[in-house]
Amino acid sequence: MSDSTPLLAFLTLALMCGFTNSMRFELRSGLTKCIAEDIKNNAMTVGKYSVVNPNEDHPIPDNHKLVVKVSSPSGNSYHYGDHVESGNFAFTAAESGDYTTCFWIPESKDNPIVTIDFEWRTGIAAKDWSKVAKKGQVEIMEFELKKLFDTVQSIHDEMFYLREREEEMQELNKSTTSKMFTFSFLSIVVCLSVASLQLWHLKSFFERKKLL
Amino acid sequence: MEQTQWKRSSKMWMVLACLMMSFFSSIESLSVTVNDVECVYEYVLYEGDTVSGNFVVVDHDIFWGSDHPGIDFTVTSPAGNTVNNIKGTSGDKFQFKAPTHGMYKFCFHNPHSTPETVSFYIHVGHIPSEHDLAKDEHLDPINVKIAELREALESVTAEQKYLKARDARHRHTNESTRKRVVFYTVGEYLLLAGVSALQVIYIRRLFSKSVAYNRV
Repeated sequence: MSDSTPLLAFLTLALMCGFTNSMRFELRSGLTKCIAEDIKNNAMTVGKYSVVNPNEDHPIPDNHKLVVKVSSPSGNSYHYGDHVESGNFAFTAAESGDYTTCFWIPESKDNPIVTIDFEWRTGIAAKDWSKVAKKGQVEIMEFELKKLFDTVQSIHDEMFYLREREEEMQELNKSTTSKMFTFSFLSIVVCLSVASLQLWHLKSFFERKKLL
Repeated sequence: MEQTQWKRSSKMWMVLACLMMSFFSSIESLSVTVNDVECVYEYVLYEGDTVSGNFVVVDHDIFWGSDHPGIDFTVTSPAGNTVNNIKGTSGDKFQFKAPTHGMYKFCFHNPHSTPETVSFYIHVGHIPSEHDLAKDEHLDPINVKIAELREALESVTAEQKYLKARDARHRHTNESTRKRVVFYTVGEYLLLAGVSALQVIYIRRLFSKSVAYNRV
């Protein structure tokens, strides 16, 4: 049974609006809070942030507006929002590492504490499933199983990545122990050489002074 | 993040009328620097949902400092009761069944003054129960199985994130150990050379002409 357009429209609408479960945290004005996420090279990432309005009737006051900056591990800025109350960003990571999103509220008189709603998805979770659902006659169950299959793929890839990291760490440990080994030998050599230098110098000094 | 799962139906308006049957939300593993108390809020939609997650403390600067006592982790329900409390740990996994729906508060408390970075992951999972099955005739038992499968995969993903965060912390520790080994060894050499030079200078002074008349 094919999905007809109004159903798809409702589906996409339901996916976009309604229950957006995401993380919330509080930010006091004048302070900066940064959230970091480890993103791999060539991974898609999508982020959405907004200020939670404590009272629905009035618009968000000016001193509640955010300054947002998303930066890569090397310092490049991927997104900048100046005095905004909500926004979103999406990019493909050019390098792997810790990407940070920093939120800051400029200082103002009454020092408000603002609740920020933030959602950051990377990799498999960032994929826009509504587009896939729109593409022709995709059954809902098949759609779900496809999502599960992609999840399994990402778990597989992650396992390989973890294995690589562990190997790197083992190499690091081995090199540290070998360094410690050479340094201990070196310390014995340094000790002996310093002692013999002392002896030789003092002996020649006393012989010069005709005391020995 | 939310997922909606729909049962295919021939009648359009019934699908339009049917509610979200099973969906879950999660946040990716994020890391926050904890100075004193950092709280994260997460909304739990259904009573009885399993909330699971893990967190790992990645020490900031353990070059000079001694062992950090760890951070405290508290989960508060919307009613104000403490659901879960873990004290003085450097990383742990947790799982509990949400007694009510609403906004849950996950707090990290750092008893020391040095800031610590915490890498955490929280996942709220919902599996449609028998009650949901009875309520909506469009919900198939297979949807329950798919939801269970999805939850199982999520637990594997959560475990992987935990391992990754722990691996990052171990790497941090190892790199700092390496730096400390090199630093202390070179410092030891310099100290040794300096002390022996001082010794030589002192002995020379003992036997120098200007002092010799008074002492030796």
